[in-house]
Amino acid sequence: MTSPPAIEARDLRLTLGEGSAAVSILKGIDLAVAAGETLALLGPSGSGKSSLMAVLTGLERASSGSLHVAGADFAALNEDALARARRGRIGIVLQAFHLLPTMSAQENVATPLELAGEPDAWDRAAAELEAVGLGHRLSHYPAQLSGGEQQRVAIARALAPRPPLVFADEPTGNLDAATGAGIVDLLFARRAETGATLVIITHDEGLAARCNRVVTLADGRIASDITGNSGRDTASTSSPVSGPLSGAA
Amino acid sequence: MNSLSWSAAWRIARRDLNRRFRGLRLLLVCLFLGVGALAAIGTLAAAIRGELSSQGQVLLGGDVEVEVWQRPLTQEETALLERYGTLSQGLRMQAMASTDDAATPVELKAVDANWPLYGTLVLQGGHRMGAPPPGHAWLAQGAAERLGVSPGDTFRIGTAILRVGGIIAEEPDRLSEGFQLGQTVIVPYDLPRQAGLIAPGSMYETKTRLRFAGSPDLEQVVEMIEQRFPDAGLDISTRERASPGAERFVGRMGEFLTLVGLAALVIAGIGIGGGVASYLEARRAGIATLKILGASSGDIVRIYALQVGAAALAGSLAGLLAGVLVTPLLAQALGELLPVQTGFVINLPALLRAALFGLLVALVFAAPPLLRARDYPAMALMRARVAPLAQGWRGALLPVGLGLAGIAAVAVLGSPQPWLNALFLAGAAALLALLAGLGALIRRLAARAPRPANPILRAALANLHRPGAATSSLVTALGFGLSAFVLLAAVETSLDANIQRSVPERAPDYFVLDIPRDRLGEFEAAVEQRAPGAGIEAVPTLRGAILAYGPAGEQIVVSQLEELPEGAWALRGERGLTYAARLPQGNSLVRGEWWPADYSGSPLVSVDEELAEAIGLEIGDILTVGLLGVERTARVASIRRIDWESMGFNYVLVFSPNTFADAPHNLAATVALPPGGTASGLLGDLARAFPSSSVIEVGPLLVQARAILEQVALAILAAAGVAVLAGIAVLLGAIAAARAQRTYDSVILRVLGASSGQLLLLQLAEFVMLAAVLAVVALGLGSVLAWLIVTQLFEFDWLPRWPRVLAVLGGGIALVLVFALGASLPVLRARPAQSLRTL
Repeated sequence: MTSPPAIEARDLRLTLGEGSAAVSILKGIDLAVAAGETLALLGPSGSGKSSLMAVLTGLERASSGSLHVAGADFAALNEDALARARRGRIGIVLQAFHLLPTMSAQENVATPLELAGEPDAWDRAAAELEAVGLGHRLSHYPAQLSGGEQQRVAIARALAPRPPLVFADEPTGNLDAATGAGIVDLLFARRAETGATLVIITHDEGLAARCNRVVTLADGRIASDITGNSGRDTASTSSPVSGPLSGAA
Repeated sequence: MNSLSWSAAWRIARRDLNRRFRGLRLLLVCLFLGVGALAAIGTLAAAIRGELSSQGQVLLGGDVEVEVWQRPLTQEETALLERYGTLSQGLRMQAMASTDDAATPVELKAVDANWPLYGTLVLQGGHRMGAPPPGHAWLAQGAAERLGVSPGDTFRIGTAILRVGGIIAEEPDRLSEGFQLGQTVIVPYDLPRQAGLIAPGSMYETKTRLRFAGSPDLEQVVEMIEQRFPDAGLDISTRERASPGAERFVGRMGEFLTLVGLAALVIAGIGIGGGVASYLEARRAGIATLKILGASSGDIVRIYALQVGAAALAGSLAGLLAGVLVTPLLAQALGELLPVQTGFVINLPALLRAALFGLLVALVFAAPPLLRARDYPAMALMRARVAPLAQGWRGALLPVGLGLAGIAAVAVLGSPQPWLNALFLAGAAALLALLAGLGALIRRLAARAPRPANPILRAALANLHRPGAATSSLVTALGFGLSAFVLLAAVETSLDANIQRSVPERAPDYFVLDIPRDRLGEFEAAVEQRAPGAGIEAVPTLRGAILAYGPAGEQIVVSQLEELPEGAWALRGERGLTYAARLPQGNSLVRGEWWPADYSGSPLVSVDEELAEAIGLEIGDILTVGLLGVERTARVASIRRIDWESMGFNYVLVFSPNTFADAPHNLAATVALPPGGTASGLLGDLARAFPSSSVIEVGPLLVQARAILEQVALAILAAAGVAVLAGIAVLLGAIAAARAQRTYDSVILRVLGASSGQLLLLQLAEFVMLAAVLAVVALGLGSVLAWLIVTQLFEFDWLPRWPRVLAVLGGGIALVLVFALGASLPVLRARPAQSLRTL
């Protein structure tokens, strides 16, 4: 049996501003991502990588085109429905971590579980932090954690609800090389455990090389789409357009 | 998947909420001030009302009191009252007390052995007593001081010599006696007669108090007395309204202060709105993160509404607590003016009203920023450029509308003067709108003003209009508070100037009552000897009640009226009557003609224009008055206009001399000393030569009236002070909210070479510009409102003392500047290197 694609986008366009101030950011993106696939979005600054991720995660609505993510028709949903669609299905790791500064590590990780109505959010948050090696930092606040630790909490938070789809926007951008490498290892290891689809936005070709598909954007369009990458960190070696949803929550 | 449940939202909200409410302290302080002021006002008013109603019997000195002028109750009247319980007879009149060295006018209160029927008289030293024994008197402290006597000494009243039995510490029925014209001296019931003070025509009032033996229906008893003796001129009071004057005063002051407190709360509301907006602004990233994690906009509103609600509740509760705690202090400050329950008073309706006002104002002002926060885009985390936020005020219409309706309902319902309150609220809303509009105009003007060449001034001007500048809310909040200061200063100095101006010119120095009419010449000589050149004006004084009025044959009987026509207060009970050959000074004829000086025809009367209008009296109508039990009829010959401000003897009814020629009566006189003149020894002389006469000194009465005025002004000032404090809280909040921007500006300017002095000048220039605007706003607005109050409400002349008004305003603005600069100090202390790393 063939699983439906995790992401299916056709002719996605995004224009910001109006009239003479309008700027066309995405200019017709066609993209299908199979479940369990690891995909790197490469491209220079201003090529539209972050905007594409925003549209794919429902943080921003496309100006036109069709988009199905994790089985939901994103083009037909309003902002609140998109927020509900994200709960438990999409995990996001951001470059600047964006932990809630007023909450401890455990509270930060428990929050998406609570938003998704999970009954054992507290215990699962602790287990998730344990899994990223921060079992001893549960009650620490973001300001009391190093950059690498903060990003590990962010990864734990993104993966805690076991989402079938994980996005990471420059996850090592704010970290030094050694810490960044550790974070990437952790991200791929946790993904392998959960079997989630992983989309990474990066400038780093070395990081991109760890994914089994590399899509390069330039000026709001897909410039190249190389599949069949060695994908040495992927759990799946199936075809680029379809793959098993093994381990999905 | 559904929205987040309230309990889950509370878990997240509580986690994110700082234990010390950091970020929400402005909201907390504003609600604390506003709710605290309202709680204190409500609790104090309730404590006074509670005391007035629970102590009704003590304050009145009985369950029922029957007053009548110039006579004791008849046997028939007494017999009727005695059917219901025990009676205590009393008598009250003006008199002169003297020793060999001193004399003073006193308020003589004669009481029988049953007095007091309720409560106890307490003398200094703690002795609890009843009526004084024969030959003794209890003296008020002031009377003893003026006579220079202490317990054991003797003094004279009329022809009697009395021993000071003690000095009064607490007089149980003092409040129901009303405004006093002299210091109290309590004597045995028979003393006035023994001392020769009671003669036909003497001005005195008897008070018969009744203590019920059983528990008859109070209203039925009153109705029975009124029906049995409709024309007897009896004035009946009951324990339920023992002191209607004090009750009315407390009720009106309470309502008025509540409205001032509400105005303070509205100013606080501006702070609440600003505080919530900057709190949510600071949490923009957090809100965006929650959205990324799957929170819907409804969840965001729930989470932050719970946080704001928790802070509002905490602020309101702290305000309620402070209100309850401060009440005993306020009660003490009220002194002996009004009775207040001692200790802490917890009046649930008053506290509930204050809390409701606070929470509703919080709802009105916090709803718009809260509902705007749900539109904060999650994209803000990923890209600096996001679509500008819609204003989104439409979404807030429902909660704001509900909140406003709630405030109006709480203010109007349960108020004794709903229309006045509704009018005040509408006026306050219009004022706020006007000030908000003015603030917006100032912003616009600042934006369009030519750019000053000086970079410091340029930056200061820019601070007034740049996006996010709090100019509008500051002009509204501080403008409102400072206007209140100007208003109070202008009203107070105007009233004071009116009193000062009119008193020396027109008011006499003494009123002398009960001068025997055959000894007027002797009296004039006595005055002339001690006060040469003094002006004396003497008039006959009688007391009587209007029994009937109207065209001959169709007269309306007053006792049959179910309700008195509006403005016809002269129909109630007995009034002073007089006769005169010539039109009294300060009066002018409106219609009809004055009788010839030697008129001897059928009795005629001249009526005050206002009374004639109120009861529809025309020239030629017949008026019947009851005088010492005899009915007398006179025809209306003229209608007069009275200048009440002249403070002389002004009578609503002036009869032709032949009307009362046969009635026993005395004279009353005013004595006006020549400018700069004194009358030392006059009171002593009069006390000796005219023992049955009494003197009222005008000076102490004006001092007393001014003291009451000042206490009222103080109460209003205190409430207005809360408004200014709330305004300062708004100012501090606005400065705190703009601190990041100010720090950034300061650091950049410092990097570019600005000195500390220049940076201080920048802050100062901005606040001075704002202060100049506020001064103009406050001066204009406060003056207009004060002018309305002085000229329209009090009908006085507009005589503010501008130096004082400007000094008060200057003081207020200096306070604002000190706070503003104090709050700006952290901006000046910012270190460029450190700040640039974090900005």
